[in-house]
Amino acid sequence: MTVPANLSSLANLGSLVVGYGNPLRSDDGIGWVIAGRVAADPRFAGIEVLQRHQLTPELALDVSRADLVVLVDARSGPPAGTIAVERVDPAGGTGTTWSHHLGPPNLVALARELYGRAPEVHVIGVGVASLEVGERLSPAVERVVDDVMDVIARLVHRTAAAEPQGVTGSSHA
Amino acid sequence: MTSQIVIDPITRIEGHSKITIHLDDAGEVTDAQFHVTQFRGFERIVQGRPIHEMPSIMARICGICPVSHLIASSKACDQILAVEPPPTGADLRRVMNLAQMVQSNALSFFHLSSPDLLFGFDADPAKRNIIGVAQANPQLARDGVGVRRFGQQIIEWLGGKRIHPAWVVPGGVDAPLAEETRDRILSTIPEAIAAIERALAWYKSSILQWEEEASTFGDFRSAFMGLVDQDGNIEYYDGSLRVMDADGHLLADRIDPRGYQDYLGEAVEPWSYLKSTYWKVLGYPDGVYRVGPLARLIVAGQAGTPRADIELDEFRRRLGRVPSSSFHYHYARLIDTLCAAERIEELLRGPDILSPRVRSFAGINSNEGIGVSEAPRGTLIHHYRVDDDGIVEWANLVIATGHNNLAMNRSVLQVAKRYVKSAHLEEPMLNRVEAVIRCFDPCLSCSTHALGEMPLQIQLIGPDGALLDELMR
Repeated sequence: MTVPANLSSLANLGSLVVGYGNPLRSDDGIGWVIAGRVAADPRFAGIEVLQRHQLTPELALDVSRADLVVLVDARSGPPAGTIAVERVDPAGGTGTTWSHHLGPPNLVALARELYGRAPEVHVIGVGVASLEVGERLSPAVERVVDDVMDVIARLVHRTAAAEPQGVTGSSHA
Repeated sequence: MTSQIVIDPITRIEGHSKITIHLDDAGEVTDAQFHVTQFRGFERIVQGRPIHEMPSIMARICGICPVSHLIASSKACDQILAVEPPPTGADLRRVMNLAQMVQSNALSFFHLSSPDLLFGFDADPAKRNIIGVAQANPQLARDGVGVRRFGQQIIEWLGGKRIHPAWVVPGGVDAPLAEETRDRILSTIPEAIAAIERALAWYKSSILQWEEEASTFGDFRSAFMGLVDQDGNIEYYDGSLRVMDADGHLLADRIDPRGYQDYLGEAVEPWSYLKSTYWKVLGYPDGVYRVGPLARLIVAGQAGTPRADIELDEFRRRLGRVPSSSFHYHYARLIDTLCAAERIEELLRGPDILSPRVRSFAGINSNEGIGVSEAPRGTLIHHYRVDDDGIVEWANLVIATGHNNLAMNRSVLQVAKRYVKSAHLEEPMLNRVEAVIRCFDPCLSCSTHALGEMPLQIQLIGPDGALLDELMR
């Protein structure tokens, strides 16, 4: 779909982007980099942006207040620079036994249980090349930062335009 | 034939550990050991580093309670600089330390322990988590999220981020408090206090159902230690050390905590990386004492805030002046959290809290510094020696979990003796051995892990090292 060059700030209201991981572990910091870029990009004015080391129960309140949530995380396993977008199914988050940090389905399930709302949530996973100590992304991951930004823009625009439900399953850019 | 039962790892605590239970020929428990199996080495890592780096480095010890290390480290650096932070700088440090107390206590009570308390220690492990709590008692779960979020937000608003903020520095804090931030924090306090009081009401209404656990979860006579202020009330940031015995008599009072080495010994056992601290007069290993929320409530005359004082009076009416069971850490932790929230409000309403004078500057004026404060889990001591250029030559850290190490071992032994009835591994024993450790909320490192991500492994090992039995959760 076509993404407008400038999303109206009004359309961004109700969206939440959470970049999470360890920014001192090279590519594990991709979530933080993306969150920082979104916060500084005027296209995304009005979007709430959070940088976190991990997903915790306290985020359930933020999630419940949003209409669209985009979680950005590093993935070890897929080829470096691979972008996978998955729609979170909250039904998958009720049977696990975590304690004080949790996976995306658990977070959405908790928002639903505690605050009665489970918004549309997508996880953008980026394949990593390095998780060594360091504050810089590897070249392979650095190259796809703009692509990730475009994915977020498409998700925000799609939600704002109230078009059919967002990305489902897994896709690769 | 003697045997061992090994529980490895222990779950829903901060860090990595395992428990070994020793059986005699008749299958009776003879000993139990709580092993901390991770090595950190911060006391060596910092050697050769300049003193101004110490607070930031030391904060990396822990991702749950970095503020506690930041505070104690900065206080040690204050002494090396030979400065006192301006009063407002000290008060702002107090606010952040109290916020840390709130968020960490909330994590322990609501996220880690409330599933056991709500569902019982023999409930299905798949149910004993915060989703289960959210389904069975959503208000309790919401309050847990709310109280922890309250503490985390204060840390983030003051320090710019909720984990590893660099705002607390030698000499005070890095920037004054903005009026908008103060008002924003103040606006969140009523709901936080209401949430803590709801949790207290729920706990007190349920307390009778845990009588069995209270009588076996580390229920023994020991001393207790904590900081008190000049009036003898709970002190979190400064003050003097007070030690009380099991009968309520003071073993020591008005001790300058910087003289800790005169009173506290540190023993090292080959089976654990966690040092065991003991009261020197009683020797090792008899010098067992406990620190943390339960100890703070016991050694203090009063909490020192209106609502917490009322709760402390009731606590003492219910349990006596010196409750002996470690199970009561849970109850104490809630009152401790209430006290911390009230203190935050008192400090923020102080007339000088917005003063721009928040930091003292100086060079190296002393070769030694000791910083002591109360962390969520108990008294925390940072002790540094530096050369004339401020390069660290030696460091010693006495962590709250180390103070409690002997007590945790004794508690595990008591539970094991009560619940291990044969050489076979059974869930009730496993659940309670883990749960008694959780009472102390040991923080073994910044690492966090969750039930489900790390398999719970119990091994029964014979005297020849052969694996006799094994359970995986």
